[in-house]
Amino acid sequence: MSESPETPFEPVESKENDTFSTETPVTGKSKMTAAWSSDEGESEGVAAVASLPQGQVFEQNYQPWNGTLNPRWMRNWAILRHHVLGIFRKGHRPWGIPTRLFIFFVILASCTDIALALLASLVGSTELYDMFGVNRNNLYGHVLGFWPRNILYFPVVAALLVGGMISEDRAHGTSALYFSRPISRFDYASMKFLSIAIILFLIIDGTLALYYFSEVLVMGRGWSWIIDTFPMFLGAFLCGILLSFTYTSIGLALSSISRGRFFPAIGLIAILMGTKTMAAIINGLFDKSTLYVISPYDSVAHVCQAIMGIDSSYGELSWTWSLASVIIINGIALYLLATRVSTLEVTRE
Amino acid sequence: MMPDLDQHGHAETKEWTPDVKAPVVMLDRVSKQYGRINALNGVSLGISGGVTGILGMNGAGKSTLFKLLMGKLRASSGAVRLFGTDPWRNSAPYSRVGFVPEHEKLHDWMTAFDFVVTFARLYGLTRDEAKVEATRVLDFVDLKDVMHKKIGQYSKGMRQRVKIAHALVNDPDLIILDEPLQGCDPLARTTIMNVIKELGRMGRTVLVSSHILHEIERITEQIVILHRGRVVALGNSHAIREMLDQHPHKILLECNKPKDVAKSIMDIDEVTGLHFVSDGKLLIETRHLGVVHQQLPDIIVQNGHQVTGIDNPDDDLQSILRYLTGGF
Repeated sequence: MSESPETPFEPVESKENDTFSTETPVTGKSKMTAAWSSDEGESEGVAAVASLPQGQVFEQNYQPWNGTLNPRWMRNWAILRHHVLGIFRKGHRPWGIPTRLFIFFVILASCTDIALALLASLVGSTELYDMFGVNRNNLYGHVLGFWPRNILYFPVVAALLVGGMISEDRAHGTSALYFSRPISRFDYASMKFLSIAIILFLIIDGTLALYYFSEVLVMGRGWSWIIDTFPMFLGAFLCGILLSFTYTSIGLALSSISRGRFFPAIGLIAILMGTKTMAAIINGLFDKSTLYVISPYDSVAHVCQAIMGIDSSYGELSWTWSLASVIIINGIALYLLATRVSTLEVTRE
Repeated sequence: MMPDLDQHGHAETKEWTPDVKAPVVMLDRVSKQYGRINALNGVSLGISGGVTGILGMNGAGKSTLFKLLMGKLRASSGAVRLFGTDPWRNSAPYSRVGFVPEHEKLHDWMTAFDFVVTFARLYGLTRDEAKVEATRVLDFVDLKDVMHKKIGQYSKGMRQRVKIAHALVNDPDLIILDEPLQGCDPLARTTIMNVIKELGRMGRTVLVSSHILHEIERITEQIVILHRGRVVALGNSHAIREMLDQHPHKILLECNKPKDVAKSIMDIDEVTGLHFVSDGKLLIETRHLGVVHQQLPDIIVQNGHQVTGIDNPDDDLQSILRYLTGGF
């Protein structure tokens, strides 16, 4: 306890070399004179029964930490690489073998249009090239074709990835460990989001870039062709980002309210397929395409049809409604995710 | 309501410096309610330096207290401060904190080395720094020889030491250990207790919780006793025991001739009562436990009694709590 108000804090020993190791000599003295000192029996033993409801606040001296904390991006990078590198390497986040195999399969399957376009160039078939070569419709189809990409490939990959992303951290207590570090809630949520989005982005837009540039190289396309088609490629690239973002935000929101991987994975697929099926049934029965706005896939696809400048397959529905729907769906999902993380519900075991 | 993701504070922790006038840990009239249940009720504490034991039965509020300190819960009222900073609003103080949670949080698929390195990097250490620090702390908890084995192959005591190592990797000023001895065998307990005592001697502020008084007393004399969300006693454990002298203590003797032993013991002035509990058992009541314990061995030896056991049945936390709370 301090002796006078003027000198509440006594000088303390330097903290230099005060790290612990097996060789460290035991100093026997605390650098902090505590509320109850760390001396072992040297000081007079004092105790108090806490008769007052507010107890007692003690004064003491201590040496503040004046070290430097490495930049925030370094900590965030550690989270990001822990998740993304786990796909390829051991010693990071362990993704299951089925997840890794399925990602490998989807990457291969997403390259079928590359193989067929190359085959068309080899055999010199213009019909085959029209079907699989780079053009406005095929670039759109590479990202947003419903069968098989957006029914079998991308939603299933997203479901496998988001399934345990937050929920398993919560079940295993890992999220509690994250928050015992100088990691802010925003950093945690954003790095989790980025990890999934980057993997999805690499699959969707990575194979898209491979598709486009392999045509440039193999078919010997010149600058004029590139100048003609590059805006279309960028449009499809943007669509890939929008699709990755939307699947990730819905999936992570579901993961943040669960303790297991099953519910978020099935929930994501159910939302994507259920809403599309319902909208398709209503459209088939009543010839009304308005309900497609409730389907995340259809809303993104409709917006991307407008971006790519291809014919709309959503009848009388304006693409601006779909754009509003994409914003609202992502907004709700991100709000749910942010709320769960900000209240630290994701750390409750 | 907008989610509090930016924590209303400086998520950018680079600029953070601790308040030099503040205690390492400070709680000022902190209460936490879960619905209608009061988990903590007006708790105020200030702790800096040394090992402090947080004692309490299950449900006393120990875990809630630690969750408040670790920023996992928001106090319903009152102020929680680590190094003068509100941990709910700013995660920066955790750069100086190491936390050992009660439950298993280990990644069985990783080696101890990889696990400690992974979480070291979340403190902002570079890859090389993290490797050096991980080796150092694993050596400190005596796991260096087996640090490249997968955690799944470790015993309970080794797993506890990995948890402690991962919390020490940033050379923290404050270490919080939630029930670190639970489920450990005697050898592991001794090792972990030595590690904790060593940290205290090195000037770290160490908070360690337990519901077993003897465990804590082997680590530290400085204790805080929580009961039903309130601090019922704090300070030196011996002094707390002294305060209990106004209450009768009990000593249970196991012997072959209790009546003969009773006759000899009646000579001790401090003995206030004798009860024959069952065959071969004698219960002694006294208000001065230390004095009786001092004289008892001499009397037994001088009179040639055969005593097979001496126990203090009420010398546990539950009994102390009963005294402190008047049975409530």
